Amino acid sequence: MPLINFAAREINYKIVYYGCGLCGKTTNIQYIHRKINPQARGKLVSIATEEERTLYFDFLPLSLGTVKGMQTRFHLYTVPGQSYYNASRKLVLQGVDGVIFVADSQITRLDENVESYLNLWDNLLAQGDDLTKLGFVIQMNKRDLTDIFSVEDLNELLNHTNSPVIEACAVTGMGVFETLKTVSKQVIAKTS
Amino acid sequence: MAKRKGLVINDRQLDLCDDLLRKLKEVSGSTFLALISTSGQPITTASDDYHPETLSLASLAASSFAATQQLARILDEKEFTLLFHEGKNSNLHVSQVSDQVLLIITFGRETQVGKVRLYTQRAIEVLKPIFENADEENDLLQVDEGYEASAGKMIDDLFADVEGEADATH
Repeated sequence: MPLINFAAREINYKIVYYGCGLCGKTTNIQYIHRKINPQARGKLVSIATEEERTLYFDFLPLSLGTVKGMQTRFHLYTVPGQSYYNASRKLVLQGVDGVIFVADSQITRLDENVESYLNLWDNLLAQGDDLTKLGFVIQMNKRDLTDIFSVEDLNELLNHTNSPVIEACAVTGMGVFETLKTVSKQVIAKTS
Repeated sequence: MAKRKGLVINDRQLDLCDDLLRKLKEVSGSTFLALISTSGQPITTASDDYHPETLSLASLAASSFAATQQLARILDEKEFTLLFHEGKNSNLHVSQVSDQVLLIITFGRETQVGKVRLYTQRAIEVLKPIFENADEENDLLQVDEGYEASAGKMIDDLFADVEGEADATH
């Protein structure tokens, strides 16, 4: 749910990167932090374990600038991917406007992808949300690796909403900004 | 499809909140106050010369508060209505104003936690109706018609340079 502050002339949107453990959510947000104009971003906050696995979330605010008199910001979050951190994932999803589901393209990660996708639906339903009402993009990450699923197969498994699908390699940045651009436009179109 | 509604703040609400935060700051002896949404977005702040990094503070405070609410449930408590962190030189106090709004206060050794809590409770009684009774007047507010198209163009511009860079490294 966006915060539309007419008095301060500000609009803030919340976008969450979701997906199974080690699928590349944090890598996406780190790449954005590294590459985007520093004037357009705030501080990257990460709550991670000593092994650099996300414990609670990563947070990166981006400023789009003033649009029709309204200062517009996107607040990017990741969730912890490991299955036993579901309580934390639910908290991060509160007030979400757009979701990027980062799928790990490797054939060996099939079960984790499906489990995480179903978990996203469950958690959104539990808070009265629905993917069809939010911005939603599926990013097929790790396309540079071998032994990966075809886009068609992953699409059939994970895209019941007929949402945009973007191939990516978050480590090199391929598809990272295209994904963010697509979901950013969606959240603006779907909220007032 | 109907568009999603957000948490909307109008001029009257912001004026009332700013006025109240200024008074609360004065009487409680606190250094920095902020109203934020429960999803971690700042609404307004009051401070003389202390300006923490508000976006990170709002995000972390809202997340901590949300986690505290879940801890309450696990302990079969209906809710924990505030979150308090005590430091050597400064303290952080987070309390719930409404379903969608939290109040953050930081204060140092020059005041007492009891005083801050007392005045905060009184302030919340005044703040709560400001947010809970505004749906009707806020329904009339509209973002400029050309907002979506302009934002789309600015999104393209913001990412144009970096997109090219990413492709080049691949």
